Amino acid sequence: MKLCTLLTDSYWVFWREMKRLLVQRARIAIAGIQPLIWLILMGNAMGGLTANPATYRLLGTENYLEFMTPGIMIMSTLFGGIFGGISVIWDRRTGFLNKMLAAPIKRAAIPVGKITAITLQSAFQVTFIAAIAAAMGVKFATGVPGFFLILCIMILFSYGIAGVSLALASVLRSHEALMAVTNLLTLPMVFASNAIFPREAMPAWLKAIATYNPLTYAVTPLRTLVLEGWVWEKIWPGLLAMGFFAAAAVAISARQFARSEV
Amino acid sequence: MPPVIEAEGLTRVFPGHIVAVDRVSFAVEQGEIFGFLGPNGAGKSTTIMMLTTLLRPTAGTARVAGFDVVRQPERVRASLGYVSQDLAVDDNLTGIENLTLQARLYHLPRQEARRRIAEVLQLVGLAHRARDRVETYSGGMRKRLDIAAGLLHRPKVLFLDEPTLGLDIQTRREIWRYVRDLRANTGMTVFLTTHYMEEADVLCDRVAIIDRGQIKAVGRPSELKAGLGGDVITLRLAGTPSAQRVTSALRGIPFVADVRFYEGEYVVTARDGEKTLPLVFEALQRVGEQIVAVTLKQPSLDDVYLAITGRGLRDDTEGREDAIRHRIRMRRIRA
Repeated sequence: MKLCTLLTDSYWVFWREMKRLLVQRARIAIAGIQPLIWLILMGNAMGGLTANPATYRLLGTENYLEFMTPGIMIMSTLFGGIFGGISVIWDRRTGFLNKMLAAPIKRAAIPVGKITAITLQSAFQVTFIAAIAAAMGVKFATGVPGFFLILCIMILFSYGIAGVSLALASVLRSHEALMAVTNLLTLPMVFASNAIFPREAMPAWLKAIATYNPLTYAVTPLRTLVLEGWVWEKIWPGLLAMGFFAAAAVAISARQFARSEV
Repeated sequence: MPPVIEAEGLTRVFPGHIVAVDRVSFAVEQGEIFGFLGPNGAGKSTTIMMLTTLLRPTAGTARVAGFDVVRQPERVRASLGYVSQDLAVDDNLTGIENLTLQARLYHLPRQEARRRIAEVLQLVGLAHRARDRVETYSGGMRKRLDIAAGLLHRPKVLFLDEPTLGLDIQTRREIWRYVRDLRANTGMTVFLTTHYMEEADVLCDRVAIIDRGQIKAVGRPSELKAGLGGDVITLRLAGTPSAQRVTSALRGIPFVADVRFYEGEYVVTARDGEKTLPLVFEALQRVGEQIVAVTLKQPSLDDVYLAITGRGLRDDTEGREDAIRHRIRMRRIRA
């Protein structure tokens, strides 16, 4: 019964977020253009790398784009999720947050609904990236079933990252503070991971960081599914880690909003 | 019938030992329009936020519709409607979408929701614009939509935080009319805060005067004004007569309670102004003074506020985030 209320309340928070998105056409356009730029820019700029047999060994493919596609998927998800908290701060400023908090809803529905809306947007974005990449000649080793697993992993990652962002936004009360913290986190997270650069080519210290970076946990199974196939021993750890990450981050953000004061 | 709102020693202390609300106690009866009157920073919004479960009291207790705000917050939330001073409607949605969302957040059944949405839209006069996006609404329309949203689930108590802040006088009067109609039609209890004296005077059955987190007086506006001891007569005399001679002449009049000389004018408080006025003329004629101008007025809540707190309206300094919220609010009102 309680779970049912939580789900319907979350749905209506989600419904509002989606309505808002559909009105703001520019956001939709940018969500489409951004990964396109990444794919074309990175694919072409770095394409020369794979002519070198050493990098071929590091990347595990002749096609840098094939190496990059999972990285771009996770990066898009990362950027979509990490700024999710901004909508909370905006709602706080317009008073809409208080309106929701004063309503007899399960308060956890606020983060759950918002995170789900963010995740759905990212899932569309990832599907779009996959379609463009396929059109540009990327071969998915595991095909369509593999892509569904990619979506699952990416969704868990999005729940995790957006959960962290919303939990931060419930504590940090200004746009500026949230932007500062997320900017501090995102770029180092990208560069200290295997998203755009193979871990094997990193110096030892960076490799150590990259190994424990949540981004690496998300990218590795995706890359395995795109480049190698159903190599489960490379897929399980990431999938499991993403499951924990998502559960923990959503639980923390839900707790933050269920407090008596937000 | 027990009071709809009961507060006992309600206190809220913010970090840095800022006592926003200081041991406030009051009761609001069923069907009353009760107002908290005071300047910005007096603790009005903090009180409303404690009563609506958005802030936790540091000390004291409060019950809304019979439920404790700390121990039964979900029951309290289901019983109240809250219209903040922020114009908390979503500009990206249409009027109907905003109300639909509100209905869902209050778990109204679909059929019922549809009926009530049509009803409240009629009540606030927005039926013809309901399908337009709120972006295109004026400030007054947004406020009306926000109030409509607060009414949708027919709460036992409606909380209105500065319901006419920043609105022009015409829209303000409209909102007052809606609130009065609402009470007349539904018997709903209304708790509102305001720093507009006229609003408290026109709208409220009873007013609590709040200053620096404390209630200084509670009563009907007429009682509070009567408590001042009568009407206010203001005189300006020809030349520069001895203030002392004039004052003592005026003090000799039976109805006069108080005479003050303030910025070139004599301000006389008298129990029955209309009967006192001819006596004032006589008394001044006897001492050979000539009146240049005279006004007689009934005291306003402004005068009451001044007499009780020794201060007029002042804006206390706000935090940075409050200032941003305020700017956003004003921009949306003027849109």
